[in-house]
Amino acid sequence: MACPISNEPDAHEDRSNPSRLNYTSYLQLNKLLDCVTLATADAEGGPIHDEHMFITIHQVYEIWFKQIIHELDSIMKFFRNDNVDERNMLLIISRFNRINMITKILVEQISIIETMTPLDFANFRPFLQSASGFQSYQFRLIENKVGIKAENRITYNKHSYMDGITDSEIYKKVDAAEKADTLIELVDGWLSRTPGLKDDDFNFFTYYSIGVERYLCDLEYEAEALEDHAEKDIALASFNKIKESFMTILHKDKHDDCVRRGIRRLSHASLIGGVFIWSYREEPRFHMPYQLMSLFMEFDTLFIKWRHSHAQMVQKMLGNKIGSGGSSGYYYLRATASDRYKVFLDLCMLPTFVLPREYIPKLSQRMRTRLSVCLTES
Amino acid sequence: MDIVNNNCSGNKQNGSSQNAPSGLNYASYLQLDKLLDCMRPVTAQTPEGMVHDEHLFITVHQVYEIWFKQLLHEINSIMDFFAASFVDESKMLLIISRMNRINLILKILIDQFAIMETMTPQDFADFRPFLQSASGFQSFQFRLIENKLGIKSANRIRYNQQSYCEAITDEDRLREVKQAEGEPTLIELVDRWLSRTPGIADRDFNFFTAYSVQVGRYLMNLKYEAEIITDDTARVTAIASYTKIAESFDSILKTDTHNECVKRGDRRLSHTALIGGILIWSYRESPRFHLPYQLLALLMEFDSLLIKWRHSHAQMVQKMLGNKIGTGGSSGYYYLRATASDRYKVFLDFATLPTFVLPREYIPILSRIMRRRLSVSVNSDD
Repeated sequence: MACPISNEPDAHEDRSNPSRLNYTSYLQLNKLLDCVTLATADAEGGPIHDEHMFITIHQVYEIWFKQIIHELDSIMKFFRNDNVDERNMLLIISRFNRINMITKILVEQISIIETMTPLDFANFRPFLQSASGFQSYQFRLIENKVGIKAENRITYNKHSYMDGITDSEIYKKVDAAEKADTLIELVDGWLSRTPGLKDDDFNFFTYYSIGVERYLCDLEYEAEALEDHAEKDIALASFNKIKESFMTILHKDKHDDCVRRGIRRLSHASLIGGVFIWSYREEPRFHMPYQLMSLFMEFDTLFIKWRHSHAQMVQKMLGNKIGSGGSSGYYYLRATASDRYKVFLDLCMLPTFVLPREYIPKLSQRMRTRLSVCLTES
Repeated sequence: MDIVNNNCSGNKQNGSSQNAPSGLNYASYLQLDKLLDCMRPVTAQTPEGMVHDEHLFITVHQVYEIWFKQLLHEINSIMDFFAASFVDESKMLLIISRMNRINLILKILIDQFAIMETMTPQDFADFRPFLQSASGFQSFQFRLIENKLGIKSANRIRYNQQSYCEAITDEDRLREVKQAEGEPTLIELVDRWLSRTPGIADRDFNFFTAYSVQVGRYLMNLKYEAEIITDDTARVTAIASYTKIAESFDSILKTDTHNECVKRGDRRLSHTALIGGILIWSYRESPRFHLPYQLLALLMEFDSLLIKWRHSHAQMVQKMLGNKIGTGGSSGYYYLRATASDRYKVFLDFATLPTFVLPREYIPILSRIMRRRLSVSVNSDD
């Protein structure tokens, strides 16, 4: 029975019309729905009812992870070009938005596994041996592709996350993803190429620095002018903090120092690019880039919500029990719900560096024209 | 070599040795190799290569089907409990938590449409032709769910002039689906359970009789209050309203009037079961009726959620296809929209219970024996 579309001999089980695709064959349902094998199937006392849901929900997560990887890969492909074709921005944004919508469902789904009681879980948990979500290679692929740094990771049971991956082919893939260009690096490159950063038309960095000096000068003056001593002290202390923070963006070496210390990730140029886009987000050419940056931040937030909800659920199921090997699954998971696992953290800091409206440098006429059209070739 | 296994001290049930090839790991437990290999986009075979969004299309449908399988697992277990001639009341907590789980899953299934909606109609049009006549109408698991709940064949709407059975071409699956239609359905099992509610008409308490008397009193007072209204228009309105209410109570007080409703298809529950439902609602604060009352609420919520699912599905399809005529001459959207109706509601009668529950002051007072009976659960024949 030759199928005109696919070379798969078993791509269709439609006996009435063997060469036509139907719903079951298209989705490979006979194979898909045959992947549930309870570990308690042969247990004394019979299979445990809730194990079915336990398997189902993990399988659903993994199918969604595969989808997220599919979208991520396509987005990263767009960013790999030296100049991102701006006509692709709508597509990039809609795909990233899709990733975030999927992640929202992944967070909501946790409520389904919470319908299982810890006592019911305890009935089949021993049969799971040492199978653990820690071994999910697709989750690691997502983490690595986005750009979670190996040195920021928290070890579990003194294991690096790679220890959980035993298949050598997959190991290579996950390792390669860690070493290849990550999304954050590609975005860094893209941001640092923002038109107008430091070229002949407009030198945003120079004008920005001037704007910062003016702003700081006015801030200091207002603080000094306060008559009440206590208020003046507070205002001056506040001013000094603000000044310090601006210094880390005005002086590249201070910024690089932050990067070295691990508290910042983006390059100096791309951070300035981010400030630039935020400052002039109402210029047409910056509309989509601004939306995209918001989506990146939303991604970080949603993923950390997932980690947190996951940890809460595990605590309910296991308590703080020490697992095999001497660590608590809950403590490990809770520790990963932290800024160490946020990739686009620097974008959250942009509000700190964007000047109040009245200090934002005015765009030159040429620059305003440049930012009103999109270039479709490099 | 599984390093994680090696370093883990044994809480293991089977005492696997260090290099146990049969040791379960995450990927083998979930059969991920097989599961993730089910992604076969049709457009991958074309010269232009895979249409990007087809991957999403397949993913979303596969996720729905995996959840349908889970729903069937839960529904089957609940029906097993109700199939016993007496439902062990100690199982009520379990029944309710599983019903609640079903409803939670349905909520996620509704929210998931938002993900499919990130695909534009134009992107869908790029790969739709390759789907030939594959259609969700052919989902045998969805039919199984519908049949096990108790959706009546006679109430179904045809699509493309086909009955849903014609769309299921695998003989074994078709047999399974047809069998579910013929066996006792969830609504039928719940009917039997409701009919056995203690106190409907037994030696300790005859709710039906007491209820009928109180309905008589209530209607009499309603009529009196209507007739003494001095303003003509207001009186006419009030009397008309009273007449309607009296008619509706008539259909519960008289078994044959009720049976007429059933014959016409306006009602499904047997007369006794309906009285049982009113009984539970009227005395839901008695401990023994707490969980039964929750269960009735969950069954109604289920109907609502499934119809919301149908409606959301129809809305999404309209965006993807418009009202276009599909293969065979019908519009998918019109068909789906038509199924988002009361014809596909199974527990519709529960929604009408408020009509028959008397105002608090008319609800018959429980006898002392009855009050005691309703404060304890019994595990065996009552």
